[in-house]
Amino acid sequence: MITIKHDGCILCVGCSSVCPTNAIEVVGTRMEHFADKCIDCGLCVRVCPANVIEMYKGVKNHKELPAGAEVG
Amino acid sequence: MAKDFDHDIIVVGGGPAGSCFARIAAGAGLDVLVIDKRKEIGVPVRCGEGVNETEIIKEGLDLPRSCYSTPIVGAKIVAPNGKSITWKDKDTKGWILERKTFDKWLCELAVEKGATLKTYTRALQLLKDEKEKPNGLTISHGGREPFDLHAPLIVSAEGMESLIARQMGFKTVHALYDVDTCYEYEMKPYDHENLIELYFGNALAPRGYVWIFPKADRKANVGIGVGGNVANGDKLGALKGAQPKPLLDQFIKGNEQLKESSTLLDFGGVISVGAPINEFAKDNCMIIGTAAKQVDPIHGGGIAIAMEAGVMAAGAAIKAFEKKDFSKAIFTEHYEKPWRENTGPRLAKRLMLRKVMEKVSDDDMNHIFSTITDQDLQQIMNGNFAGPVAKVVGTRPQLLGVLRGLIG
Repeated sequence: MITIKHDGCILCVGCSSVCPTNAIEVVGTRMEHFADKCIDCGLCVRVCPANVIEMYKGVKNHKELPAGAEVG
Repeated sequence: MAKDFDHDIIVVGGGPAGSCFARIAAGAGLDVLVIDKRKEIGVPVRCGEGVNETEIIKEGLDLPRSCYSTPIVGAKIVAPNGKSITWKDKDTKGWILERKTFDKWLCELAVEKGATLKTYTRALQLLKDEKEKPNGLTISHGGREPFDLHAPLIVSAEGMESLIARQMGFKTVHALYDVDTCYEYEMKPYDHENLIELYFGNALAPRGYVWIFPKADRKANVGIGVGGNVANGDKLGALKGAQPKPLLDQFIKGNEQLKESSTLLDFGGVISVGAPINEFAKDNCMIIGTAAKQVDPIHGGGIAIAMEAGVMAAGAAIKAFEKKDFSKAIFTEHYEKPWRENTGPRLAKRLMLRKVMEKVSDDDMNHIFSTITDQDLQQIMNGNFAGPVAKVVGTRPQLLGVLRGLIG
């Protein structure tokens, strides 16, 4: 389960660039997270320079990683 | 049979790649539309703003004074133990740009050649014909009612986000290992000597470095980039987040000059430091610039590379319209193939250097910095590793294992 603290977001779209499933995109003037596409890989959390993306265990949303996606 | 098209070419993204593409293509008489999601071209700035002089001159452009903040006369590289090497050379000359003005200037050049530019306009969806070939985009101006535009050629110059490029089928997803996560302040006052300053150290910036880029009026861009795969932060939720900002704050606290300075601007971003993607063109579409990961893997810089790719891709587009052929083959022949032959090997060398550098420990880094001279550094920057590597390995043979990759 991903949450974004929009106040601190600098709209660098770093999270979109690493997201293997397009689950995080700019909509209007802020980043939106689409839980239905999210596979809880956490790459966006690790890459966010402003440290505004948080991930909580609990509400899980497991799907297979697509071919070619790397969790590094 | 022929569908009615609204434009000859639609370019997604008005950065250096998109605007240079549009300038050349529109100059040849093509009807080019450039859309950019931002309200104002060049804003927000997500860049250290450094660019090499020779690279701009190569494009045949005369940079107006308003587009750069200050010229650079050389560079200073600081080892983990504080020892520094300074080198000044005609090849290290460059500028620290004002990206906002610079990007706008490039767009204006394209508009003067006849291209159409639309800001605050977002591409939502790639449209395809019955043969699954791209033939248009659904776009929206400022979040208003979306509408469709058609063109036989769609160019993605989207940068890191690359939403449309993904819909085209390009593999633009970045692996964590191939990105750096960055944070930067514009600070004042900082008295500098117009040198680019780079600070290395695994404690300072894991798998990266801190940079100070001089700007006019005692200002400087002070930034940090750390490897995306280096999770070193406090626990956030259930996962450790990247921590470029706290590391940068720590550096600033320890710097005699900067600790008293104010910040004028916060910015940050994620930069690509990997290899270019495996293909730059498909039928009816091309991808240029950072979207295609055409960046220098040492610093993630891509302004000049993107401009060059834009110009080359525009040449291919002109050929395609002459022959009325928008197949992958024609774009590959006139854009991708020459790019991979000219720019590709240079970037591959830089990627090798990055991969070797991230394996070097602080102690070894100190040793390397105490061994090599500014001349050697120049050699390394030019991609000639053999001489400097021989020198370092001569005094510390155990480094051969790590550095061997550079001379293979």
